[in-house]
Amino acid sequence: MFHFIHRLQVLKSVCSRFVQVRSIGSRFEKMSGDIKAVLIDLSGTLHVESDPTPGAVDALKRLRQQKDIKVKFVTNTTKESKAVLMRRLLKIGFDVSEEDVFTSLSAARQLVDAQNLRPYLLVDEKAMEDFEGVPQEDPNSVVVGLAPDRMNYEDLNTAMRLLQSGASLIAIHKAKYYRRSDGLALGPGPFVCALEFATGVSAHVVGKPSENFFLSAIAGLDCRPEECVMIGDDVSDDIHGAQTIGMKGILVKTGKYRDGDQDKISPPPHRVCADFAHAVEEVLSGL
Amino acid sequence: MPSSTFAGRNIKYVVLDITGVLKESGPGGGHAISGSIDAIKRLYKNGFQVRFCTNETVMTRHTLVQQLKNMGFVIDEIKVFPPIPAVCKVLSDRKLRPHLLVHPDSLQDFEGVDCSNPNCVVLGDATEQFSYENLNKAFQCLMQLEKPILFSLGKGKYYQEKGNLVLDVGSYTAALEYATGVTAEIVGKPSPTFFGAVLQDMGATASETVMVGDDIVSDVGGAQACGMAGVLVRTGKFRPRDENHPNVKPDAIVDNLAQFVDNLLANMA
Repeated sequence: MFHFIHRLQVLKSVCSRFVQVRSIGSRFEKMSGDIKAVLIDLSGTLHVESDPTPGAVDALKRLRQQKDIKVKFVTNTTKESKAVLMRRLLKIGFDVSEEDVFTSLSAARQLVDAQNLRPYLLVDEKAMEDFEGVPQEDPNSVVVGLAPDRMNYEDLNTAMRLLQSGASLIAIHKAKYYRRSDGLALGPGPFVCALEFATGVSAHVVGKPSENFFLSAIAGLDCRPEECVMIGDDVSDDIHGAQTIGMKGILVKTGKYRDGDQDKISPPPHRVCADFAHAVEEVLSGL
Repeated sequence: MPSSTFAGRNIKYVVLDITGVLKESGPGGGHAISGSIDAIKRLYKNGFQVRFCTNETVMTRHTLVQQLKNMGFVIDEIKVFPPIPAVCKVLSDRKLRPHLLVHPDSLQDFEGVDCSNPNCVVLGDATEQFSYENLNKAFQCLMQLEKPILFSLGKGKYYQEKGNLVLDVGSYTAALEYATGVTAEIVGKPSPTFFGAVLQDMGATASETVMVGDDIVSDVGGAQACGMAGVLVRTGKFRPRDENHPNVKPDAIVDNLAQFVDNLLANMA
């Protein structure tokens, strides 16, 4: 059944992107030498749980030595603040500073600030520090992340009533489910859907694969999407999402990668590599 | 048999929604909507066939009818059609064993249903039982099945409870549908099978039947899709914007059940 559902999703995304296929490069195109920024997914790409993927620590150092290439870490997280992610990366051995990290929570925060929103936050307690200083009285928007403690009848009813009275709906991301120690567990997507179904309000999805996410991630880096590479293990959220706005996607065969993933999107990934270290080799050899 | 010219038809049969039409919900089952106890008596007195069609799943049919009787309604349990008896029949016909995510007070109506080693999920209006972990159990159950089957007892979006809107079962069904890719089979309004069973019980044809409800989509739209006339009342969960619904145009909109019955009886042949 997983397979079947996935096929359906792929078919959908292929159809919706069909018109853009021609304008984006093919897999045989040589990676150009004017790459100015590399976007890197975290979990599954740079590390799997608390271990780096093979050669990743050194590869990142080598990439960092290229003065004309900027590096940004991009991730869909709904419960880990930047500070939490940073601590984990440092502990694993990666040299990262906070301004290098752009998460779906950062994207949500940007949107909240830009639109002067007063959000009702259905997010995990750990994520609250990314919303520090945001006014929350008399809410005019609802922000939904993954927060099992908040996904209850009472709080969802409150969210629904706010949406009924005109609040906007922001989804940190819309993942269907994720893997937990006891098996699969519901992601934020289903709860976003419940609220959308109840109220007729469509959520503004801020995380990957939304185009705005990738554009916001490179804002201030002084480069165009065509000059950026996205390295990730999720063929739809990382690679398809980035390639949709003209970035070059490198799919790595670690983390959630499954055989044949590269055939599930059109156009296919710009490159497919064994792991992050090999992806970095590709980037550097193209320069 | 009596009949009335209503909405350009010859109406002989009346199907009534319960919550929001007969009574407003609230503590102890809520309270009767003004004029509705008498309205039903007038329908009986004039010889109309009446059935009650509800998506109520937070209590047993017996409790529901008892509450209505205590409020003063004259109502016979066998003329009340809630989704749980209907889904029990489906489960038995198709030899399915459900994982139940339903209201604890409705469990008695599932008595005798084999829930061991489940091969489908039944979602009712579980209210406070709609926790992350309970939804996750239903989700995991569906993901383990080779041919996952999800039954949704109605597919309402929300309803009014103690003066506040609360999410109805349909919203949680939408969540599970999105997570699993399974399309739920709806048992209850607006399922044509469900309305069909009610018509069959009266020996009625759809074109001679009117459905009165406060849910523009499930009651009015659902009945119209089956060929019945659909009447919207301005009680219960009704909101002014329902009068301009993009897809559903009621055959009539009335202030309440009493006004509907006034109109129906005024046009009797």
